[in-house]
Amino acid sequence: MKKQYFLLLILALLVSLFSGCKKETGYKTLIITGQNNHDWQASSPVLKTILDETGLFSCEIMTTPEKDGDMTTFDPDFSKYKLVVLDYNGDSWSDKTNSSFLDFVKNGGGVVVYHAANNSFPAWKEYNEMTGLGGWGDRNEKDGPYIYYRRDSLIVDNSPGRGGNHGKRREFLVRTRITDHPVTKGLPARWMHGNDELYSELRGPAKNMQVLATAFADSAAGGGTMRDEPMLMTITYGNGRIFHTAMGHADKDGGPAMQCAGFIVTLQRGAEWAVTGNVTQKVPFDFPTAAGVVLRTDFTELTFEEALGNITNYEIGKSTKSLVCIQHHIADLAGDEIALLEVEKQLVGVLVNEKTTTEAKKLLLRELSWMGTEYSVSAIKELVGNNEIKDEAEFALARLQTGK
Amino acid sequence: MTRKSSRREFIRRSAAVAAGTFVLPQIIPSTAMGMGGRLSPSDRIVMATIGTGSQGNGNMREFLRLNKQLQFIALCDVDKNHLEAGKSMVDKANGNNDCRTYGDFRELLAKEKLDAVSIALPDHWHGIIYTEAANAKLHVYGEKPICRTIKDGQTIVSAVKKNNIIWQTGSWQRSLFNFRRGAELAINGRAGKVKYIEVGLPDGGKGIGTPPVQEIPPQLDWEMWLGPALKVPYRGVAHWDWRWILDYSGGQMTDWAGHHIDIANWGTGLEHTGPVEISGHGVYPPEGLYNAPVEYDFLCKYANGIEMRVANASRLPHKMGTTWYGDLGWIHVDRGDVLTASDPKILEEVIGENEIHLYKSDNHYQNFLDCIRSGNQAITPVEVAYRAISVGLLGEIAMTTGQTIKWDPDKEVILDNPRASRLLSRPYRAPWTLPTV
Repeated sequence: MKKQYFLLLILALLVSLFSGCKKETGYKTLIITGQNNHDWQASSPVLKTILDETGLFSCEIMTTPEKDGDMTTFDPDFSKYKLVVLDYNGDSWSDKTNSSFLDFVKNGGGVVVYHAANNSFPAWKEYNEMTGLGGWGDRNEKDGPYIYYRRDSLIVDNSPGRGGNHGKRREFLVRTRITDHPVTKGLPARWMHGNDELYSELRGPAKNMQVLATAFADSAAGGGTMRDEPMLMTITYGNGRIFHTAMGHADKDGGPAMQCAGFIVTLQRGAEWAVTGNVTQKVPFDFPTAAGVVLRTDFTELTFEEALGNITNYEIGKSTKSLVCIQHHIADLAGDEIALLEVEKQLVGVLVNEKTTTEAKKLLLRELSWMGTEYSVSAIKELVGNNEIKDEAEFALARLQTGK
Repeated sequence: MTRKSSRREFIRRSAAVAAGTFVLPQIIPSTAMGMGGRLSPSDRIVMATIGTGSQGNGNMREFLRLNKQLQFIALCDVDKNHLEAGKSMVDKANGNNDCRTYGDFRELLAKEKLDAVSIALPDHWHGIIYTEAANAKLHVYGEKPICRTIKDGQTIVSAVKKNNIIWQTGSWQRSLFNFRRGAELAINGRAGKVKYIEVGLPDGGKGIGTPPVQEIPPQLDWEMWLGPALKVPYRGVAHWDWRWILDYSGGQMTDWAGHHIDIANWGTGLEHTGPVEISGHGVYPPEGLYNAPVEYDFLCKYANGIEMRVANASRLPHKMGTTWYGDLGWIHVDRGDVLTASDPKILEEVIGENEIHLYKSDNHYQNFLDCIRSGNQAITPVEVAYRAISVGLLGEIAMTTGQTIKWDPDKEVILDNPRASRLLSRPYRAPWTLPTV
């Protein structure tokens, strides 16, 4: 018997090891970089971190030869991948590579076009059909119309002029234009993006393209068009799906444009859509709103368990992110009594922990006042004698008495 | 309206409670003069304002345009600067320096002889002060939303009814032509049978992060400002911006529910009922002192099959305002005299003699004064205001809990959901309690 238990334990351990090892099960993803007018050495590992975090993708980074290098040596086997992420703006690839990439997309491969990748290959017609819109590289009216929103109308503008521009970097408001697309479903209609280049005057064939989100290019920062410029696009090409984000200008270690939770989450969602045509990821609690920019300095989402740990140190003036994470988690579990009771026990555990700050206890009592059960009542009764949190404890007890 | 006291008695009582020995101006509430409790057209209505911030003083400015019909004699606010601003406005209108000021509404209600009071306070104070004013048998012009919780609203409604006072809600859109006309066209079926309504309210704005504790400004009685709300240190936010903090308000959504949801109810005949099912979601700032939802989108189903979607303007095709969708088209109303329809001919329709004609008022403040004299119901009576904000408050509960809420609009209870039911009220911090009616 004992031996059997031991074997079971080993088996359980192995299962947990493999389930934790998401890389083995995710969609195989190729991030192409190696040349860019941007800091690709900073951006490409961040893109990998962002996509791998979802557990949906398993990314590898492939770098092309340096500028003027021998491009025939860059010959990826695209058929091994479900998704190709383009962080590349440089020399033309070989004809062979171009054609195998085209085949990959036509046959249903997913593509993510990231920021300056829409500057690349101005002369490659099919590539521009895949990106939908592009900038610089002598792009002008010959390459296609400007596409933008004016108020609530999508404008296709064939007037002559340059393709590609941006003013000074700044934080800006992004507006979701198509709210029922899998990528944007459930996202705020308006959200603040971290300090970034706001690409404007992009132009291109824009065939089979949807503009999911725009940002207003005001003139205050220079290069302003006073138009709502496309920021997030989807394009279909053959059987392939392309997600195009014009955002995410990289600084060393990523910087605010890439740390922006809005950039991260739209990239994660767009990448999944490019592979499957659907999005299974939940909208996280920290998706930014019009209220302000939200940065994930380590590019990952705060978990409920981390939030529970962090909140013990809460003081007035500090971030309330952990509390909002907990609130979001509770609403997410609506209807699941067993899970809610478990959360309640965890909250009470933090509440009665001596190390938990008074201010944190006050926040938790407010939450327990409505989501708690008898389990909370007995714990909170013990706290009424504590003058520092007496009001909040009485508040919670009074409310827990109602709705019975 | 049945208060009886003589002029002499009133002056003596007022003098007795005044701190000094100065002679009080001889203003007597018209209801004190007999007339069976009814005012004669020549009587000036004696009023006070509780809450002399931007909205309270704004309302007073409108009332003072009708100064021949009324007289303000006293003001109350927890901020001395607000009181000063209000007093100078009133004194100028009265041509004297006699307007009395209070920092505690209880003192004002005890000392002053009044006919009516105009009240504009943060929502968390509405339950107590509206109820106390009604219990003091004063007619009330009260700001919307009339309550922070359903329980507060129910108490206010009973107090107004029991004391038989005139109540006017600051839902002034009702007294504008385009809103009345749009609602009248909708309720008379000019867009066909209305099955669906969209209500667009403002998007939430910028946050202020997580400010530290600050010194309380000397003119502000912070303890009284908080009142029944949980005690928190002052962090630089009180006036106006309380709207973005859930202890005091539900944000733009509850602030505006008393406008466009009220108009939606008016034009659909839903003024005296509520939805039976509410579901939706809110977008909350991921951190910060301002914690009210900056976006929201919820659907209310009514027993008669009508559905009402309430969302922040950016999510809706018509943005702000109320849009009735019938089987023949739609009608949209909004501020800025907006009245549009799917077919312009709808707007030219004449409402026949035997059809529904909605209550007509061209001046919201005048309507209140007229009703005090006539004893008629004002254009936005208390229960109607309660039904408008209860839609918003139930939406807030659906968003907080993440659940579909079942509501019984007759018994006014949430069904089969103890957690959600707890959100129907907010316990008051001692010593404050919701007054009994």
